[in-house]
Amino acid sequence: MSETYHHSFHKILNVRHLTENTFIVQLERNGLNFIPGQHLVVGKKGDKEFRQYSIYSGLNEPYFEILVREVAKGSVTPKLKKLVPGDELEINGPMGYFTLSEQRRQSHPIVMIATGTGIAPFHSWVSSFRDMNYQMIHGVRKSEEAYGNGAFRKDRFRLCTSQEINGHFHGRVTEYLKKAYFSPDSLFYLCGNSEMIFDAMEILKTKGMNTNNMFAEVYF
Amino acid sequence: MVLGCQMNLSDSERVKSVIEAMGFTPTENEAEASLLGVLSCSVRQKPIDKVYNKIYVWNRQKNHRNIITFVSGCVLPNDREKFLKLFDFVFPMSELNDFPNMLKNYGIVTPLSLNHSNSQLLEGGNKMIFPLPSTTGETPFKPIKKLNQNPDKPILPVNQDIFGLWNVKPSYQSSFEAFVPIQNGCDKFCSFCAVPYTRGREISRPSTDILDEIKSLMAEGYKTITLLGQNVNSYGLDREGELSFAQLLQQIGELGNQLQNPCWVYFTSPHPRDMSRDVIETIATYQVLAKQIHLPLQSGDDQVLIKMNRKHNLDRYRESVGQIRELIPQATLFTDIIVGFTGETEEQFQNTLKSFEEFQFNMAYIAMYSPRPGAQSYRWDDDIPPATKKDRLHNLSETLETISFNYNQKLIGSQVKVLVKDKERKTGFLSGYTEGKIVTRIKSKDVSLIGKFVVLQVTEASGFSIAGELVL
Repeated sequence: MSETYHHSFHKILNVRHLTENTFIVQLERNGLNFIPGQHLVVGKKGDKEFRQYSIYSGLNEPYFEILVREVAKGSVTPKLKKLVPGDELEINGPMGYFTLSEQRRQSHPIVMIATGTGIAPFHSWVSSFRDMNYQMIHGVRKSEEAYGNGAFRKDRFRLCTSQEINGHFHGRVTEYLKKAYFSPDSLFYLCGNSEMIFDAMEILKTKGMNTNNMFAEVYF
Repeated sequence: MVLGCQMNLSDSERVKSVIEAMGFTPTENEAEASLLGVLSCSVRQKPIDKVYNKIYVWNRQKNHRNIITFVSGCVLPNDREKFLKLFDFVFPMSELNDFPNMLKNYGIVTPLSLNHSNSQLLEGGNKMIFPLPSTTGETPFKPIKKLNQNPDKPILPVNQDIFGLWNVKPSYQSSFEAFVPIQNGCDKFCSFCAVPYTRGREISRPSTDILDEIKSLMAEGYKTITLLGQNVNSYGLDREGELSFAQLLQQIGELGNQLQNPCWVYFTSPHPRDMSRDVIETIATYQVLAKQIHLPLQSGDDQVLIKMNRKHNLDRYRESVGQIRELIPQATLFTDIIVGFTGETEEQFQNTLKSFEEFQFNMAYIAMYSPRPGAQSYRWDDDIPPATKKDRLHNLSETLETISFNYNQKLIGSQVKVLVKDKERKTGFLSGYTEGKIVTRIKSKDVSLIGKFVVLQVTEASGFSIAGELVL
């Protein structure tokens, strides 16, 4: 992996605001290689505060993107929100093991479960691997938070909205999991806050799913 | 001053080499030292507070004598910024090789550079020579190199530079115990820990260099060698074509077989996520690989483990312990635990207590949680009252002591091999440890045995130690 490791500054190409507090930062690729699902350590150039962000974009794009949700009174995200094209970020990475091997994606149904911006690594997966047999279950409060849902096939995407009734399912993602059927040989990938991940794993266990087939990336 | 873990201790052996190569002579007496430094630790706030206390004292001394100060080791970007105003030199360990140049650029002539310098700032003596102090009481030194003043320099550690540090031949502090760094940095991002921001990402040292160093240590008769890294069993994952950790251990095992010098090789710390059966099988296979495993658990509750972003659950840990018990039944098991982590309920703590009963640890390093700036959890409420944390620490320690005592008691009457490490100050008796790192008191005052293996007849056991008499 040393060939893919990067530690340098990257210019911002574009910032797309998806909601009032969620945005995508697009950066020049500048030689950065990664395995979809990996994350980066990101900070404003010259700043001393850093945060981790999963790569949101696909492997074959000439740029890379991160999906950011502004944290009120946070020490990094408000600064990132103010960035404009031409500004630079310090990028360290890629890192992490929340990746999907070809062997796994060709031999198992893949169930991706995310809350909020936890959809980022899955967006990178489906943008990179066209041959996946997958289900994407995305839990949000409102349908406007269905970030990047256009990348997923409509028949494989389930939006669970807890504060609106215009998703595929009204309620939390964990409620959906209780009612859903999964093939026993499925591999489950979970990304989001730690409470959701724990609850979801417990629900899947009660459904007889093997914990060895569950993989998680915690978002804070 | 060296704070923190064995990694810093190991780094200090390389710092010593570099400083000695400049012509400095080590001294135990701080009052006569010209160059004073700290290898800092950022795991908790306490060591950082010690750094601030120390530099305050040193800077006061600058009013009446010439001293140069530096800080390195694990330093968070925010602390680094403050240290820049307090220390003469602030640099990451990866820039150790450049330290002589930093001093030179600072206008300081070292004894070994005397013959090559035309500096006019020299004043007699055969040791370190400094410019005279300024009459204003301010430091006469004007630093020209300090970290991060270049806006184009990354703030996070550039870990590739660590190879330069590893190329420095260490001045081993002990003639029979050695630390060998095999890996630096961490990619795991546990939510309570700031190490990824102080030491950077995981980088593996080339196995050829590691094996050369170990071969040389074994040939010199070193009795213990500890392989060091933040995640030793992630070894090789970052380098295409590099040995895996199990393969590295295998090669070390082969070296042990070839050289036949009695030696125990330990490693610390592994991460449960990367603890493969291969590694455990290899330890079981080779005599030189010590039958003691330190496997940090941190919490015995799955929900807390997720919140800690540990990337393993109790089942995964259980699997590894099962393999250890199956393949190396004689191995002792050590762990690390944090009590009172943000939001830890009584029930979750009880799960940790249960895990002690289940895994039968011989030793656990138990810490009360304290938030560290830079770590993810720093932003969360530290909502467990200190008294509750203390209670949990106390409860867990008591349970551990009972388990450890039961284990140690079974050793009474048996003969065990012990490495004699030291002499107890109070009694004058020798002390040491077994292959399983059980602390041992030896009823002998023969200091010539320090640094040697002896055989001990175990006669007593207590919570965390055994005692016995030498077998002649």
